[in-house]
Amino acid sequence: MSSVYPVSPGPARPDRDGDQQLRLLEDAWEKAVPFWQDDIARQFGTHHWMPLREESRLYLEALRSMMDVLDTAQRDTE
Amino acid sequence: MTAIHADIDALTELRAALTRFRYAQREVADRGGDAIEATRADLEAKASHWRARLEQGQAELAACRNRAAAADGDPVDCSGYARAVSEAGERLEHIRHWQQRIDQQVIEFAGTASRFKNLLETDLPRTEEQLAAIIASLRAARRVQPPGP
Repeated sequence: MSSVYPVSPGPARPDRDGDQQLRLLEDAWEKAVPFWQDDIARQFGTHHWMPLREESRLYLEALRSMMDVLDTAQRDTE
Repeated sequence: MTAIHADIDALTELRAALTRFRYAQREVADRGGDAIEATRADLEAKASHWRARLEQGQAELAACRNRAAAADGDPVDCSGYARAVSEAGERLEHIRHWQQRIDQQVIEFAGTASRFKNLLETDLPRTEEQLAAIIASLRAARRVQPPGP
């Protein structure tokens, strides 16, 4: 019979924590946008916010692939 | 601060969120690097284990074959030793395959990780500074005092 208790999770993967942190930052941006609609805001969005978000997404995607390989390697060599 | 300064509040919160993001992602990047090193060390320990098993198996197989050669017609079965050598060799080869796979993945990952690290160390602090300057200019234009300590 299976246990009624959830399986204890292992240490959180850094890529998932990174995704969560990016979501929190995106929330903060979404909250700021309605109050900030001038030219400076548009420049900030184009030159700072969008590159930051894009580079963060690329990195977290690469980190996810890296962590997937590490996890599979560990399991496959037990 | 009042609702008429909601933009200042929102930008101040955005700036704080950027700073939290920078510290948190730095830790994420460090943990990613630690995970790579830990897995490499684990695979090297496993490879070392199976290398030792292989060498031991080869020595036992050689000794068995020597006994068979000296047995003068008496049957000596060395097949168990041969199987052990074969298994150890396959396990070692499998681990080496994963070590190479990880090395390749790390090479692919390194460029993106380096750019992101540079963003965290250089670009993001500048972004925070620019946002701080924007907030300060809004406060100055409206004669709003920054919050005290």
